[in-house]
Parts: sequence; C-alpha cells; structure tokens
Amino acid sequence: MKFLNLRVSQGPVKAPPSPAEISAGMLTHDAVGPISLRSINNLHENIKRRVYRGLLPASLLADFNIDPITYIGQNNSPSVEVTALPDSGLAKIMVLAPDGAQDPIATLELSDNTFNSIDLNLMVLNQPDGSRFATDVDLDGQPTIYGTVRRNLVEEQKAMEHGLAPGQIRSGLSASKLVLNQLETFLAMMGHRAYYLEPLTYASAWVFERRGFAYVRGHKLMDTIHVEFQPGGQLHASLDVSTPFRQSDQWKTVRGRAWAIHDGILDVLDERWDNLRMVKQLGKSADVVTFPESVY
Amino acid sequence: MEITEKDVDGVAILSFSGSLDALTSPEATDYLEACISNGKNQIVADLAAVDFISSAGLRVVLTAMKQTRLAGGDFRLAALPDGVHKVIAMAGFTSILKIYDDAESASSSFRK
Amino acid sequence: MVNSYKMTRAAELEALPIFRDFLDSVCKEHGIGSEFRYDLKLAMDEACTNIITHGYAGMNPGSIMMEVQFQPSHIRLSITDFGLAFEPVETAAPDVNALLEDRVASGFGLYFIYQTMDEVEYRTTVDCNMLTLVKRRHAPDAA
Repeated sequence: MKFLNLRVSQGPVKAPPSPAEISAGMLTHDAVGPISLRSINNLHENIKRRVYRGLLPASLLADFNIDPITYIGQNNSPSVEVTALPDSGLAKIMVLAPDGAQDPIATLELSDNTFNSIDLNLMVLNQPDGSRFATDVDLDGQPTIYGTVRRNLVEEQKAMEHGLAPGQIRSGLSASKLVLNQLETFLAMMGHRAYYLEPLTYASAWVFERRGFAYVRGHKLMDTIHVEFQPGGQLHASLDVSTPFRQSDQWKTVRGRAWAIHDGILDVLDERWDNLRMVKQLGKSADVVTFPESVY
Repeated sequence: MEITEKDVDGVAILSFSGSLDALTSPEATDYLEACISNGKNQIVADLAAVDFISSAGLRVVLTAMKQTRLAGGDFRLAALPDGVHKVIAMAGFTSILKIYDDAESASSSFRK
Repeated sequence: MVNSYKMTRAAELEALPIFRDFLDSVCKEHGIGSEFRYDLKLAMDEACTNIITHGYAGMNPGSIMMEVQFQPSHIRLSITDFGLAFEPVETAAPDVNALLEDRVASGFGLYFIYQTMDEVEYRTTVDCNMLTLVKRRHAPDAA
C-alpha cells in the first residue's frame, strides 16, 4: 500500500512575487487573485489615490475635520500624505495633525513582502494634543528609531511615568481597532487573505493579540516571558531597581513588562526582543492570550 | 505521566499513568533505558492508567522491546485500555508483543 | 453559525495535552463517544506533533490554531500553522506485519491519521498551512 507522507518542503514553495502573476491587471480580469502594492503603485496617479483612499477610516478623518475625498483639512491645508512611488512595493500614508503640529496623527506603512503577501511595517497613532516626549531623538539629536538603535533615557523615563509604552512619543489614539478593521477591508479588496507584522514592543504584541493576531514566530517567547515575570521567575528576579525601567512591580502590567524588555531584561534568559512575527487572517481571530487577566 | 515501579520475583512491573505522547515519551524512554542498563530485562508495563498513547509512545514500546530482547529478556504489556489497545493494534504490534489482561498474569508469564 | 470551538497555543510539546483535553471536553459536550473521541485526539495529536517537531524547527515557535466544528453528519478539525510547509512524498505505509527486528517506529503518525479519519486534506498557501480532518459521525448509507 502506498500512501502520502509529509515532509518539510525542500524547495521554496512560497516564491517571491512575479509581476505577471500579481499585477493590477487582475482588477479587470480576475476578482480573487492577490494584487501587490508595487502594481498599485504603477497605476495612474488618480487611480492610485482612489485605491489608497480605502485605507483610511472616514470616521477617523472626520474626527479631525479632514475631508475623506480631497483630504483637505482645517485651514484648507492638505492633511493626508500618500507616498506610493512607481516601482516601489511600499505605501506610506500619514494623516497630519491640525495646525501643522510636529507629529502625524496616524502613520501607516505597508510593503509587499517576499512571499506574495503584505507586511504592516508601521502603525503609529498619536493623540495630537497633550504631552510630547522626545524619545525619538537622543540627547545629541540623533534619531533613536523608536528606541531600537539609540535611547534617550531621560525622555523615556518621563514617558514611562506618563503612562506611555516604549516607542511612543505621545499617548496613543485608541483607534487601532478602527484602523485595522479598515485595513482588512482594504486588503480583502486587494485579494489578500492575511497580513503580517513584526511587533516593535511587548506592548504592541499584546495589542495585536487582542486584535486577533497569531504568531508566525515568538509565541513561545511570549509564553516564556509571562512565566518568567511571575514571582520566582528569572525576569521577576531581575526587576532589581538597577535602572529606572526595572522597578519591582513592573511585572504586573503590560507597560511595565514592555519597558523592562525595552531596557534589555531578556538578557537574563539569553533572549532578545527581535524576530517575533505576527499574522492576522482576515476576518478571523486567533484569540491568543499570552498574558491572562492582563492589566495594561 | 508518572511511572511507579515494583519488583515481583525479578520482574520489574512498571505502572504508567497519564499520557504517552511526544511530550512524555523521552522521559519514559530514559526510565526504561536506565532499568535495562541496570540489568532488569524482564519488564511488564502496566498501562491500565494510561489515558492516551500516540506514535511517540509506540516508539518507546518498540525500543524497550528490542532492548530487553537483545539482553535476553522481554518487554510485555498488561491491562491495555481500549484506546491504547486500538493504537497498538493499528500499528500491528499485537503480533510481535505479548499482551496480558493484568500485570499479575504478565509477570507470572515470565516464570513459565 | 456552526457549532465551532477554537484554541490557539504556542507550538510546543506542552500544548499537546492542553489541545487533547480541550478537544475531549468539547466532544463530550456534544455527546461524542469515547472511541470516536480517542480517534480525534490521536489524529490531532499526531498532526500537531509533526508541526511542533518539524514545522517550526529552528525558530522560536509560532502558533498552532485548532478549530473543531460539529456538523450533524461529521466533525471537522482544522489545524493551522505558520511554520515551514510540508510537502507530500509518496512512501510505503508502515509494514504492520513486519518482524520485530525489521520494525522501524517511524511513519506511524500520518498512517494513524489516515486510519482514523474519513477525509484528510493538507493545503499550504502564502497565508498559512492548514490540515483539515473530517470524521463522519455515522457510516455513510450504502448506495
């Protein structure tokens, strides 16, 4: 009797996109195939603008008096910037704050990835008013890239005390659900069944779990982090007040854990906060909870 | 999974409880290998309290069988719950293994 | 809406008993008998073991999502993961009549799945790998 066994694939099944396979021409002759950002970006400017309009929730724009069609905001100023250059597989949309304030209200960056799917590179949602913390530049004015390559410890401590998570310069907009739901609608239109991201911090991984994401990599790390932050665990023991970001009660909250991890506490486990990857399947919730009964 | 051991006239009776799956089978294999290398090559596995066995558990059984027989003994099973019996039978192990209704008859079979 | 239950866990061996207990308890709620439950647990366990030991090899493992749906005529079990894809290779089924010395204790996992399930479908796409197992609640009527 012959039967089929399964072995780990030897060849690259998930091949890079081929323009012929994944073109915007599918808009007219195929209703289900996935379309790449690159092919959208190669469309005529006006079509491109119509397509990317689907990415932003109209209600978010309305909240800031921005016209959802013309993108004209208060003082008659253009208030949405779309970066989608021809031959580029990247799309970046920024909703600018009223009165030309420094930080955009919303920044979304999407890119084609190497296996015919879409990555959400960046989603930053800022309260336009309220305190701002300059965690984005170090004391010499060099960019910190969300605190990943450099750190501004003075501003980070202030931000932490103000209730922010690592990587934030302002309080969040509490609109991630709205924005991600809209993104799903947009991706469904593009023919994608899932999209991916790499969570910048423990706090963002926690948010994305609540938004229905599963893990491509790092689910076990999240479980390990939870276990080791419990009393008796190695991370718990390393909350030794050796830095302002390692206070003894930080294990109790998502933000507390996120700051300690940002501060490098995973070293004691010989782990690092990188290489996590999450996936959202359109319409489905994975119901992952790696921090049960969590407090943000 | 837990293993308790008793010795009846030179036959080691190992009572397994819980599950014999990919998670627990390394521990079971280690335990059996230690037994065999300590010179116990007549072994009865009492599986009455095993609620689940998978192919990983079968590997434990097969390894123990081969090792005890190489050492001149045998590895015999006793008190298989229905599910466990079905898996053993599906794999065709019933033709190469001695299986008894209970640990007592399995251990006394070594004296015949 | 179908009667559907799901659970997602990190792909590590510690998840196996958790998935089995979950499957057992939802099946009990639906009045599924013990032999039928054992078959489902066995097939699910073998599939998940494969994913855990091979599909996520060499990385900090991601998730396994299990979903079980109860239909009047059958039970459908879907197991989704995001690790390395598997590909089918045609091999001989394990020889269940071999002599002891010729026995190899590998290749039984998928064999058990085929022995206990009525339908087995494996699909790998850019979005996920998904194994769908169907077990009918009654023998189909004779034609």
